[in-house]
Amino acid sequence: MLKRIWTIFIRDLTVNMREFMTLYMIIIPLVLAVGINFLSPSINDTSVNLALIENENPEQAAYFDDFANVELFSDEQKVEDRVMSRDSVAGILPKDNGYYIMTQGNEPESVLEYAKLLNVLYEADVQLEDARSEIIEFGRTVPPLKKMLVNMLLLLISMLAGMLIAMNILEEKVDQTVSAINVTPTSRSAFILGKSLTGMAVALFSSIACLLITGFYNVNLGQAALVVFSSTILSLLIGFIQGLNSDDVMEAAGSVKLMFLPMAGSIAGYEFVTGNWQIFFYWSPFYWAYKANDMILSKSGTWPQLILFIGIILAICGAVYALLAPRIARKLQ
Amino acid sequence: MKLLSSFKKELILASRGFYFYVELIFALVILAVLLFAIPQNFSGTSTEYLYFNLPQEGKEIFKNIILEDDLDTKSEMVEIKAGGKTFNAELIVTDESEIYIVNSEEAVRMLAETHRNIGAVLELDDNNQLHYKYYLQGYESTRLKNLISILFNESTDVLKERIENQDVRPLSTGYEPLNDRENTIPPLVAFSGSLMGMFIMASYIFLDKKEGVIKAYAVTASSVWQYLMSKIFVVLLTSVVSGIIITMPVMGFSINYGLLLLLLLTTGFFASSLGLLIASFYNDLVKAFGVIYLILILMMVPSIAYFIPGWDPVWIKIIPSYPMLQGFKEIILPNGDIAYPLIASAGFLTAGIVLFAITNIRFKKTLSV
Repeated sequence: MLKRIWTIFIRDLTVNMREFMTLYMIIIPLVLAVGINFLSPSINDTSVNLALIENENPEQAAYFDDFANVELFSDEQKVEDRVMSRDSVAGILPKDNGYYIMTQGNEPESVLEYAKLLNVLYEADVQLEDARSEIIEFGRTVPPLKKMLVNMLLLLISMLAGMLIAMNILEEKVDQTVSAINVTPTSRSAFILGKSLTGMAVALFSSIACLLITGFYNVNLGQAALVVFSSTILSLLIGFIQGLNSDDVMEAAGSVKLMFLPMAGSIAGYEFVTGNWQIFFYWSPFYWAYKANDMILSKSGTWPQLILFIGIILAICGAVYALLAPRIARKLQ
Repeated sequence: MKLLSSFKKELILASRGFYFYVELIFALVILAVLLFAIPQNFSGTSTEYLYFNLPQEGKEIFKNIILEDDLDTKSEMVEIKAGGKTFNAELIVTDESEIYIVNSEEAVRMLAETHRNIGAVLELDDNNQLHYKYYLQGYESTRLKNLISILFNESTDVLKERIENQDVRPLSTGYEPLNDRENTIPPLVAFSGSLMGMFIMASYIFLDKKEGVIKAYAVTASSVWQYLMSKIFVVLLTSVVSGIIITMPVMGFSINYGLLLLLLLTTGFFASSLGLLIASFYNDLVKAFGVIYLILILMMVPSIAYFIPGWDPVWIKIIPSYPMLQGFKEIILPNGDIAYPLIASAGFLTAGIVLFAITNIRFKKTLSV
């Protein structure tokens, strides 16, 4: 039995490598991980953008530069042009007795409030050297946005793994080899396991590699692997049924789009929905996977919590499998 | 005429397939999420932990100042856990934040560290001046730390008064911001409708390549461009229908649907032509998957800038989805700029025509590719 599963796995791996799909699925998450590294520092450093007139008051420009992103322009018209551009920029321009704030009129309130506050602090001559505050830091270097993007990437990897399974099954269907399994000594469960191993191996490899690339090398990789493994089981199950149900590539493409909905919804629910409303996302294993990943990336969870989350994911997967098993069996016949 | 009959045939074929309905179901699900799951305004509240290491009188003064902003001007006694310990706290909830006033500096430190929120301790220094000690995570930007460190050098009342008296001169008036629900429409329409057209178009072509339909066209009176265009029309139809399903129930009749239709059609045409061009280089979807996927991810990057107003680097503006998002936003904005979606539509139409012409040449030369 194990030998047959292994044979199917090796055969799938060889075919996938030849068709670049597996390579894509390994390379794409790595490219995205590099992209996250590239984007997150500049996003984290985002502050309010201020436009000033160059050399009008260099001391003021230097002062604002300590608190905001300052852009200098040769005259008032150029500042006005910049303020009128599509992003949120406030101009701070001289008037008879001080400075006024020029806005486009559509900036978020927070941008305007920040610009007003800085102008007030400058007018009141509040200097950094006179600070009456002490800042104690916990030494965390990974901003929440980066953690969120990496967490999304981990879920995406398990989705891609599901797609790989779907494509593998579809290939068998197109080649009409699925029915041939029935006349071989290979059992259906061995076939299912064999077809799934490539996706799982790719998911595990890519997830660990992405964690290392994005700088999460000090998280518990064993815990992360467990979550990836459990969420891949669901993607795999959905991928398998998609592969069996789809008659052509268009149907598989449509199913993939449908699969993204619960994943995106679960992430949005976890991040944006507060308090008791989160209960509406408890049915989604992606919600629990995201929550478990968040705990691991934050290094804030315990093993019992993690085991509970994984247990919930596996229980939902088990329920889905129980629902789909007769269908899989029918389609394999 | 041939184009019309090709389109009719494609439409009949598409209506028999599973995908056509997936698009519509997907749009309905998004609409349901928009209407029932996304609030009109997200409660973007922050959590803070405070300890007033001051004489009782001082504690009362500061607590009462914060309490003025409480939603029901009453605080609530609660228990919060951190690091295996339970701390008693007085909770004050304002529009912008949940403030927990605790009884020790240790509680502030442990809560801030465990729950990853900001903590602050107010105490008196040797000169009986107020001294602020902040507990931050470490990833906050230097500029934010600079601001925090001087924020209370001036008295809060003086700051408030001066801020209120600032001279602000907006260049345009009559602007009404979108609420959070409306603000999520442009990315949903752009990605679910327009950009997915690229993926779907490529999938259609790969299916036909597999079935030899493109080769068959070589021996018919119809030309390849008509065949390709009829496919694009089907994708455009689904993208327009799903775009309107998502937009209309939320925005009602308050927006210019002519403009929306124009931008949906031109962006859809551009994305479909791009999908066609990609499809012309590969045999099947599996081989083209990497390119399509990377382009889709690249197209998603401007949505970060869309939701973070201060982050808008120049390079992001050359990604086509940037003008798509901004164009859809201008259309649904009350008093939005009409010129922007018109210019964006002209740009997408031109780019789409160029891509389509190149694709047509490629397909003519390599009918079997």
